[in-house]
Amino acid sequence: MWDGIIIGGGLAGLLAGIRAAERGKKVLIVSEGVGSLTYSSGVIDLGDAERLMNQKSHPYALLGERVVRSAAEYFQTLFPDYWGNWREPQFVLTPLGSPRKAGLIPRGLNTQALSETHKIILMALEGMKDFFPEVAKSNLLKAYPQAEVVLHPFRVEAFEAWYTLGKPITGMDCGKYWRTASGIETLKGVWKSLDSFEPDKAVVIFPGLTSVFSQPLREVQSNLPFSVIEMTAFPPSDGGYYLYRGLVQKFKALGGELLVGSGVKKVELKGKQCHKIIVNSKGKDSEFSARVFVLATGGIFGGGIEVTLEAAKEMVFGLPPFVPSGWTNSEFLGEQPYARMGVETDNQLRPIDSASKEVLLENVRIIGRMLAHWDPWVERCGGGVSLASGWFAGEQV
Amino acid sequence: MNKLDSVKNLDACIKCSACTSQCPVAMVQPLFSGPKSVGPDAERFRLEGIDIDPKCLSYCSNCKTCEVTCPSGVKITEIILRAREKASLAAQKSGTTRLQVRDLVLGRAEYLGRLGTIWPGLTNGLLKVYLVRVLMEKILGISRRAPLPPYQAKFKGIRNNKLVPNHRLSKAVVFFPGCFINYNDSLTGQAVIKVLEHNGYDVIMPNFHCCGVPLQANGKFNEARGNAKKNLALMNPYLQSGVPVITGCTSCGLALKEEYPNLEVSGSELIGRQAYDLFEFLWELQEGGGLKQDFQEIPVSLGYHAPCHLKAQGIGTPSVRLLRLIPGVRVSDLDTGCCGLSGSYGYKQEKYDIARQIGEPLFQRVQEGVRIGEFQSMATECGGCQVQIEHGSGIATKHPVWVFMQAYGLSPEFL
Repeated sequence: MWDGIIIGGGLAGLLAGIRAAERGKKVLIVSEGVGSLTYSSGVIDLGDAERLMNQKSHPYALLGERVVRSAAEYFQTLFPDYWGNWREPQFVLTPLGSPRKAGLIPRGLNTQALSETHKIILMALEGMKDFFPEVAKSNLLKAYPQAEVVLHPFRVEAFEAWYTLGKPITGMDCGKYWRTASGIETLKGVWKSLDSFEPDKAVVIFPGLTSVFSQPLREVQSNLPFSVIEMTAFPPSDGGYYLYRGLVQKFKALGGELLVGSGVKKVELKGKQCHKIIVNSKGKDSEFSARVFVLATGGIFGGGIEVTLEAAKEMVFGLPPFVPSGWTNSEFLGEQPYARMGVETDNQLRPIDSASKEVLLENVRIIGRMLAHWDPWVERCGGGVSLASGWFAGEQV
Repeated sequence: MNKLDSVKNLDACIKCSACTSQCPVAMVQPLFSGPKSVGPDAERFRLEGIDIDPKCLSYCSNCKTCEVTCPSGVKITEIILRAREKASLAAQKSGTTRLQVRDLVLGRAEYLGRLGTIWPGLTNGLLKVYLVRVLMEKILGISRRAPLPPYQAKFKGIRNNKLVPNHRLSKAVVFFPGCFINYNDSLTGQAVIKVLEHNGYDVIMPNFHCCGVPLQANGKFNEARGNAKKNLALMNPYLQSGVPVITGCTSCGLALKEEYPNLEVSGSELIGRQAYDLFEFLWELQEGGGLKQDFQEIPVSLGYHAPCHLKAQGIGTPSVRLLRLIPGVRVSDLDTGCCGLSGSYGYKQEKYDIARQIGEPLFQRVQEGVRIGEFQSMATECGGCQVQIEHGSGIATKHPVWVFMQAYGLSPEFL
C-alpha cells in the first residue's frame, strides 16, 4: 500500500512525487513512456502570472498566488541551477536565435549580456543538425542592433566519425560530448582558439552546449574572461533531457519508485474513492493500492485524453473532460479552443462534475496538462501550471 | 502480433526521437543511427522490399530501453529483432564462418555451460590463460578483455527433486533458474530456493533448457523457439495446476512473459500470467500478508542497479521495495542507465568498447557512491549486470536474494 500513486511521469507528476516523498510519503509513479520533458527545452514558462491569476477558472486562479509562488520557489530550491523569479521574466534565445520571454531558466541560457555588448561571437559547430547559423545571425542582428555578429565555424575531432558518415551531429550528441572529461578538455582548446577575436570584449553564443547540472562545465566557464550564452534547441533536446534526469534522480534519492513503460489499464473504485490501479505489465497485470492518486497523464499530447470525431475521453478514470464548443480555429497559429480541454476541478484539484460542481472522486487530484481552462501556447504558462499543481498535489498526498 | 497489428503498431510511431535520445548504444556509437531510424523508419522501406544498411541492425543490444521509453507503445526492439532474423536468414550463405561460429557459441550458453561445468576448475584455469583468450578472440571474435564469468559446479536444484503431491501444489512453485545460475552461480540458485522454502513453498525444478534469449540475440530464432517449446512442455503440467513459475534472472523472466505466450503450444496461454520475477512474487506475498517478516536487523547499505530487462517487465523494482522492509538495510536506486553488457553483446570483440562506454556512467556512479560512503556494495538481479559492474567498477555486486538469506538468518552474511 502506497501513500500516493502518481499516474504520469512528466514535469507535474515528478514534482508532485518529489514533494510528497520529501514529506516522508511512500510514492510510486507509473508512467507510460518517459514523459514529454525530453521534447522540451528545459525552460520553465510561467506566463503572465498576475493576469492569469485573475482569469476565471484558470489553474493559477484556482490555486492562488501563494501556491504559484511557492511552487516556483520550491523548484528553485531543488535546482539552484535555475534562475528567474515568478514576477520578473527572463529572456532566452530560440533555436533560430531570437530572444523570447521565459520564466525560470537554466542559468547558462540567460541573455542579459547580449543587450550590453557590441560584439557577439556565434559559435557554429560544423555539421550540427537543426542549427542554422545564417538565420541565427540575422535574427541576432535584428534583436541586438548595437552589436556586430561574428560567425565562428569550427570542427571538432571527436565528431570525425560523424563527418565521415555524413551524419548530422544532433544537439544531444553535442551536449553529451561537452559534458565528458575529454569534451571539457576540447572545450578549453576551443576557448583558446578565440583569442584572436579579442573575446574579452565580446559575448559568445554556443549552441549545443548545455551546462545545467554539470559542476565541471560550470567551473570551466566561470574562469573565462567573457560570457558564454547557450541556446535552446529543437526537440528532443538536452535541456529537457537533463531536467528529466535531474527530477528522476531527486525523486529516487528520496525513496520514490518509478515504473516506466507501462500504462494504467483500469482502476478500482469504491464509491467516490479510488483504491487500486491495475497496470498493464508484461505477461500479466500488476495491482497497486494507495490512499491518494494523482492524475498527471499529460492531456491530449500525453495520451491522457483521447479525442475522436465524436467525443473526448479521459483515459484512466473515465472522467468527463471539459470540451469547448468550437474545437478549432481556422487560423493555424491562432488560439485553438481545444487546448483548453481538460478535467475541471475544485480548488483542491479534485475532479468535479461540470454542471453540479459535485466532487466526483475524493482521493484523486488532477494536475498539469490534464487540467481544464488553460492554453500553454497562448498563455505560455505550461511549466508554471505543472509546477504549481504538482507542488500542491505533493503537499496533499 | 499479426501483420495488421504490426503495421498499426508501426504507424503509432510519431517520429519524436524520444527512443533515440535514450538509447544507450546510440549515445556512444555514431555508426548506429538509433532505434527510430533502424526500427520504424527503416521498417517502412523493408515492407517495400528495400533493405537499408542491414549491418546497422547488429548494433542493437536488445536492452529494450526504446520500448520502455516510447510514449506511443511502439514495439521498437521487436521490429529490429524481426528485421535481424530476416537479414540473418538472407546472410547465412554469405556470412563469414568466424562470426557464424561465434553466434553458435554465444547463443548457446547452455551447451557451453554443460561443457564448462564438467570440470569447472580446468575450464576456469584455461579461461584465465591470456593466450587462450587471445586465441578465442582470433578464432571466435570473443573479446579478450570481456569479463567471462567463471564456471561453478552445475546447479543441482533440490537435493532429491522430490515429487510434490497434488494436494500441496497450492503451496508450490516452479523455479526457472536460467543459465547464469545453472552454470556460473549455483549458490544463488540455492539461495532462491531457501528463501522460497522459508516462506513455506515447495520448490519444483524440472531440468529446463536455456530460455532462448541468447539464441535470439545471436540470430538463432528457430532454435530459440525450439528451446521455448521444450521448456513449456516441462512447465505445462504445473501451469495447468495453477503453479507459478519463478525466475531469478530478469532476461529469462522477460522471455517467459513476452516471448513464450506467442508460441502455439499448450501452456503458452498460461505462462505470461503465471511467470513471476522472484521479488515480484515475494511482493505479492507481502501485499497479501503472506511474506515471512522474521527479519534480523542487518547493517547493510547497497547501491541498486535495475537491469534493463527488469525495467522492460513493467513491474517496477519490487526487490528495492522488499529490501527496504528489512531493518538496517539502506538502498540507493542508482538509475544510471544500462551496464552495457546486454547478455552476450559485450563479449563480442567489436562490441566490447561500446559496452564499456555504455556502462561508464554507471561504473563511475558506483565508485563514487562507495568512495563517499553512500553504500558499501552493489546489488542487481541480472547475472550479466553483476559481472559487468564488477568488471567496470571493481565493486562487489550480488543478487539481492543474498540480503534476504542473511536477514532470514539462512546465511551468515551478505558478502
